[in-house]
Amino acid sequence: MRAGTPRRHGRDGLAMATLIGTVVAACLTACAPTGAGVTTPSPSPSTPAPVPPTDVVEVPVTSAAVPPPAARIAPDRLVIESIGVDMPVVDVGVEPGGQMQLPVDPAVAGWYRYGPDAAATAGHVVLAAHVDAVDYPIGPLANLRDVAVGSTIAVMAADGSTRTWVVESLTYYEKAALPTDELFAREGDPALVVITCGGPFDASTGHYRDNVVAIAKPQS
Amino acid sequence: MRKTAAAGLAVGLIAALGFAVPASASTSDSAQLSVLHGIPDTPVDVYVNGALTLDDFQPGKLAGPLTLPAGDYEVALTAPNAADASSPILGPATITLTADGDFTAAAYLSESGQPSLKLFQNDTAATAAGQGRLTVRHVAAAPAVDVLAGGSPVIEDLTNPNEKTLDLPAGPVSASVALAGTTEPVLGPTDVQIQDGVLTIVYAWGSAEDENLALAVQTVSVAHSNPGGVPSGTAGYLAQRDTTMSFIALAGAGALAIAAAAATALAMRRRQEARR
Repeated sequence: MRAGTPRRHGRDGLAMATLIGTVVAACLTACAPTGAGVTTPSPSPSTPAPVPPTDVVEVPVTSAAVPPPAARIAPDRLVIESIGVDMPVVDVGVEPGGQMQLPVDPAVAGWYRYGPDAAATAGHVVLAAHVDAVDYPIGPLANLRDVAVGSTIAVMAADGSTRTWVVESLTYYEKAALPTDELFAREGDPALVVITCGGPFDASTGHYRDNVVAIAKPQS
Repeated sequence: MRKTAAAGLAVGLIAALGFAVPASASTSDSAQLSVLHGIPDTPVDVYVNGALTLDDFQPGKLAGPLTLPAGDYEVALTAPNAADASSPILGPATITLTADGDFTAAAYLSESGQPSLKLFQNDTAATAAGQGRLTVRHVAAAPAVDVLAGGSPVIEDLTNPNEKTLDLPAGPVSASVALAGTTEPVLGPTDVQIQDGVLTIVYAWGSAEDENLALAVQTVSVAHSNPGGVPSGTAGYLAQRDTTMSFIALAGAGALAIAAAAATALAMRRRQEARR
């Protein structure tokens, strides 16, 4: 089972390379007219480590007693200083229709509680907020489209910790084509994903055409 | 605690990994096996295909998961420190692991208290976004039970050695086990965490007569589902403001152009006047 770990790593590397490729491709078409920035980070080549020769299998044995609930570190504040964003974060789940739940107030962001948490060492921490909602002022994430690649994002968490992330890409996706499986990844390199709406507004449906998605990597 | 398996099993495991490495997405030739020890007061050695695989395996413990090639395996349980598998206290029994399956072999007491062995297949189908899965297995020397969540029955009349499975919203569930048709818990209530994309298997094991009924829990990661989308704007105010801003910008540019044209015209007229 230890031998399985390198293989998983290799797959995730490939998935990340694919994701970056997709982001670049999407930006070449979707983001060009809007002037959104994009970087093309070179994914580090990840070759699976060779399976070490072994003649024994270690069978893990654990207690089957009822485990205490795993502690989850919930993000509680999102700060993107360069674009004037400083907003509280609450945890959210899923709407009955399967869409991500969002706080009604555009001034409050939601953290997808079923995905990786603020302290995640793998997978994507997903935060999202309405860009606007009826009877509320336009939300802080209206400025997300102006965030520059390389800007920092600070995420404070309920345990008092602050984690700093660096924006790596900004992408407009047509909502119908939002790559949710990639954005909500639970494995692979850790990333912060900040999502709101943008693009043209369709008054007949009451929805924007696009999602605006910023992806940030942990500050090293 | 880790136990070392015999070489025969090891060869099988390495072969399985050898298959898995080139075809990263495919696991079609292997299965996952865990082993639960649910016979009270009886430590055992577990032999698989005649090879000692779990040494001094204690009640209430869970071993695995092991990745094994699909196929038939002969399992025998002996008293601890037996020289070999020739005089088992349980088995030998043949278990069949089908490709891609996730299994738990449980050593348990039948309703009448006889040591028994059963292979359960774990339901690893994808859960909906925000949902987790709960399987309850009755492997205790006890009559039929109901399983209560927050005091009301969610599983009724479950008998040894059977199981029931349901998908629930992720979150803590206050679970208890009562004799069928009653609500007075014989086990619990205990907080069981239902997690998105995780199968939580709760075993009721032990013996009612010996008053050592207990709960055991195993978790298995299953495929999860992601939200279908992020509907993050409903008013159109931003789009409206953008339109207004570009109108103002356009109007501003227009005004500038008119002013420039007027200035040019004025200048020309002045020059003409000057020439006169």
